[in-house]
Amino acid sequence: MEREKAFAEKLARRGVSRRDFMKYCTALTATMGLSAAYVPKVAEVIAAPAQRPPVIWLHFAECTGCSEALLRSQYPYVDDLVLELLSVEYHETIMAAAGQQAEDQLQQSIKKYDGKFICVVEGAIGTKFDGGYGKIGDRTFLEIAKEVCPKAAAVICIGSCSSFGGIQAAAPNPGGFKSVGDALGMKTLNLPGCPPNPVNFVGTVVNYLLLGKLPDLDDLGRPLFAYGKTIHDQCPRRSHFENDEFVEVFGSEEAAMGYCLYKKGCRGPETYNNCPVAKFNNGTSWPVEAGHPCIGCSQPNFWDKMTPFFEEL
Amino acid sequence: MGERITIDPITRIEGHMRVEVEVAGGKVVNAWSSAQMFRGIELILQGRDPRDAPLFVQRSCGV
Repeated sequence: MEREKAFAEKLARRGVSRRDFMKYCTALTATMGLSAAYVPKVAEVIAAPAQRPPVIWLHFAECTGCSEALLRSQYPYVDDLVLELLSVEYHETIMAAAGQQAEDQLQQSIKKYDGKFICVVEGAIGTKFDGGYGKIGDRTFLEIAKEVCPKAAAVICIGSCSSFGGIQAAAPNPGGFKSVGDALGMKTLNLPGCPPNPVNFVGTVVNYLLLGKLPDLDDLGRPLFAYGKTIHDQCPRRSHFENDEFVEVFGSEEAAMGYCLYKKGCRGPETYNNCPVAKFNNGTSWPVEAGHPCIGCSQPNFWDKMTPFFEEL
Repeated sequence: MGERITIDPITRIEGHMRVEVEVAGGKVVNAWSSAQMFRGIELILQGRDPRDAPLFVQRSCGV
C-alpha cells in the first residue's frame, strides 16, 4: 500500500492521473490477451512489484533504436521500469560505469544472478572471422553472448536484429550476422520489429511477474498475444481492400482518403504484429495510419524477402 | 612514451566505441578513438531499389 501510494504520487508529479494510468493498464491487459479481471493485478504489478528480476541488457550489432523505443514507452516511464519493475544490472546506453568498471559490473552480475537473470539482447551477432565484426572490451559479440546467454533464466531478443539477424544480415551479409538463436543454437523469446513496440516488451515482463512464466510463443518464438494476427486482419483500412479501393499514387486524392496501400507495396497481409491495435508513441499512430505501407519489419529477413518495399506483393 | 589507458566500452552513447589515451606527466599527449563494429550497410545497399535506400540508412543509428 505504501509503495502504491508513492507510485501514485510519482505519477501525479508528472501530471499523469490515476485514470490515465488505469487506462494504460487496461490497454496493456488487453494487449496481453488477458481478461479485464486482470487489470487491477496488472496495475499492482507495475505500481508495487513483489519481485524485481535482475536484467542484463546486451548490445551487439544494432542501432540502439530498440532501447530508444523502450525509453519512449509512456507508462511505465522508463525510470520506473528501470528502478522499480526491473533491476537493470547492465545496459551500456544508460549505465554510469564505463570501460573496465562496466565490464566488472557485467562479470559480477552474471556471477551473482547465475541462472536467475533475464538477458535482454539487442542486435545481431557477427560470425565471420570468429565474430571479429564487433567487439566490446576486446571480446567479440560472439564470445560475450556465449558466456552470458546460457546463464540466463530467459533470453529475450528485442528487435528484429537479435530475433532474426536484422539489417546487417541482409544480402550479402558482410559479417555473417546471425540472430542470437542461430548464433548460439538456443531457444529465445523474440520481440521482432524495427523498432518493436515497447508495450509488447512491458507486456512480456508483466506476464512474467504476474503469472511467473513467459507468455505463449509461436513457432518463431514470438509471443502470441502480440504476434498472433496479421497486420492486414487488424487494419482499419481493410474495408477499402475488400472494396477494391486502392492508393495508386502517393499524394493522390485516394491517399488523402485513406485507401488501402496494398498496391503501394504494403506487407500487412504477410506480417504478424499488433501495430494497428497497440500503435506507437502512446497510442498516437502507426505507419499505415500515417499513410505509409507496412514494410513487414517483424518478419524474418524482411530486408531481403520484403524488398523492393514499394512493389506490390 | 607515457602510460596508455584504454576505455572500452564507452557507455551512454549509441554504438560500440573504444578510446585509448596516452598520458604523460598528468596530461593527455595522444589519443585514438575507434568504432568497434562493422555492419557494411554500404555493401548491403548496392544493387537495390533506390526507393528502399532511406529505409536502410535510417537504421545506421536509431537514437
